[in-house]
Amino acid sequence: MLYLELALQGLVNGSMYAVVAVGLTLIYGLLRILHVAHAGLFTLGAYTTVLLTNALGSLALGTAVSMLVVGLCGMVIYRLLYEPLLEQPPYVALIASIGLFISMEEGYRILFGPYGNSFSSAWLTARISLGPFNMAAADFAMLLGAVVLLVFLAALMSRTRLGMAWRATVTDAAMARSFGVDTIKVRYGIFFMASAFAAAAGSLVAVLNNLVEPTMGSVPSYKSLAIIVLGGLGNVGGTLLAALLLGVIEAFGTIYTGAYLDRDAIAFVFLIAVLMFRPEGLFTAK
Amino acid sequence: MRYSVQLAGGCLAAMVLSTPILAQDAVKIGFHGPFTGFAAADGKSARQGAELAVQQANAAGGIAGKKIELVAYDDEGKPENAIPVANRLIGQDKVVVTVSGSYSGPTRAAAAVFQRASMPYISAYAIHPDITRAGDFVFRTGMMGEVQGRAGAKLIADHLKKKRVAIVAVNNDFGQALTAGFKEAAPKFGLQIVAERTFSMPDRQFGPLVTQVKADDPEVIYAPGYFFNAGPLVAQLRAAGVTADIVGQEGYDSQRFVEIAGKASEGTIITTSLDRDSKSPTTRAFIDNYEKLYKERVDMVAASGYSAMTVAIEALKKAGSQDGKVIRDTIRKTAFETAIGNLSFNSLGEVKKAVQVQKITDGKFHHYTVIDDLELLAPPEK
Repeated sequence: MLYLELALQGLVNGSMYAVVAVGLTLIYGLLRILHVAHAGLFTLGAYTTVLLTNALGSLALGTAVSMLVVGLCGMVIYRLLYEPLLEQPPYVALIASIGLFISMEEGYRILFGPYGNSFSSAWLTARISLGPFNMAAADFAMLLGAVVLLVFLAALMSRTRLGMAWRATVTDAAMARSFGVDTIKVRYGIFFMASAFAAAAGSLVAVLNNLVEPTMGSVPSYKSLAIIVLGGLGNVGGTLLAALLLGVIEAFGTIYTGAYLDRDAIAFVFLIAVLMFRPEGLFTAK
Repeated sequence: MRYSVQLAGGCLAAMVLSTPILAQDAVKIGFHGPFTGFAAADGKSARQGAELAVQQANAAGGIAGKKIELVAYDDEGKPENAIPVANRLIGQDKVVVTVSGSYSGPTRAAAAVFQRASMPYISAYAIHPDITRAGDFVFRTGMMGEVQGRAGAKLIADHLKKKRVAIVAVNNDFGQALTAGFKEAAPKFGLQIVAERTFSMPDRQFGPLVTQVKADDPEVIYAPGYFFNAGPLVAQLRAAGVTADIVGQEGYDSQRFVEIAGKASEGTIITTSLDRDSKSPTTRAFIDNYEKLYKERVDMVAASGYSAMTVAIEALKKAGSQDGKVIRDTIRKTAFETAIGNLSFNSLGEVKKAVQVQKITDGKFHHYTVIDDLELLAPPEK
């Protein structure tokens, strides 16, 4: 029973990683850019949701507006930061992205203060019983939110023109263009969606912790990088599996290896091991 | 471009011209803390506390007619930044005494530099035992982690009358020092430690840990950590249906803890330095002035920054000299009345004072008890 509950908690964390990392892997697949500032948008989403929810009194409305606003911010970042750098070697965009991420963190601190923000009406202690499981409502919301978003993403990728265009662009951008795919539009579309997802993940974490801080993106930033490498860069399915797997491994690691190995180090031990034996990633076909 | 060069030149000229005029009859006190980065919340509180002390001292006439000038630098909470900051305060700014409003890492690093320069250095709330071991110029107004850990053990055994304890601690020097003190004292009080678990500083989601603590089924959870860990931790423990008493320490001591954990924070008991219900006029005046000036609830870090700065200023006044050795000797033999109680220092530069215990009732920290067993709380002499 303890193991089952631990696994369930692992899935809650893993689903948060999945929602963040899936956007990152989409962007990597498209542009070969490691979008570190993605985690800055995660934080922005959390702040926007908390501030709007406190002002408007509705979490659903706050989250929706936050996803929209952050999605647009993602498009702006693409246009102003990455597009001018696409001709440069990939590390140039990476450095720019890290720089933007640090500025975003300090920007939030200057704008919103260092103490962090919280929802004024807390529903943290609400609980839900699911058969034998008794979990916090916020955990349940996280799981459910992730499932809804990822199902939506799967449908989008397999059934819509944007999804097809994304897959075509990833496979061969020049060929896609010659078949009339507007690759620029695809990029904007992907940046919007990935950023809106990051905002949703940030909002869910805000509900779970009732705490939004300037540096809350730092852990997701490096962990989601580890996850997309594990999943095979640009591989959406692999990224999802890697995220959930990491969540579960961390959950058990917290309890059984916590005395020797920090929970946040597990991702990297895992990463090093995988890179030694399967350098192409865990879920990439050979 | 040309405009900005001119502007920069103008600023430079203005600085060169204005500095000597200001510096002529000001006494400079150094200060460093994490104003940016992961610990920026505590950096801000500590600085506000220190600035309030300087402001009040200046309004009351300064030191022998000279104004006090606070020279504050950001160390980002990083030891490698603290050393250049210390060198700048000593060599460039020529301060006469320095207060650390930072964590243990930066404070330990800087302590050695100040010791070598024979400059008095007062750590406001960093807890690592090695800080004062840097030498005889280093003092600490905050409690050592070990000392506070021992107080936590006494609190659980003698005041809460409980036995079975699970320790859930942040895995840095803060959590380790508190845990060490707690475990050292636990057998003396007949406490049984049923489990010892850790989490890391950036952790906010404690799902697996909470599940495990629930299975450990303790009577009391002793959980060293900061308010930004403890807020989510306490809320998540209560959300999972854990009803054991939760005992925290000075890291919880911020109104933000209550805002984050909401109703779940009710009944949490902490050991700390600041008594919100204190009858001492010094403490009352500090709380009122701080909350009026900054429109924020006071916290332990602000009170510690204020108190460490008070010690620095009072020592300067009493010493009547800006010589490091004279100031050091003055700090050593004086008893200071501060917002966190009456402070005096032992031969190592460690503070001797009682531990305040506060309990959260109706969303506010209130007096619960005081632990003043001086034998139990005696800091090391070397």
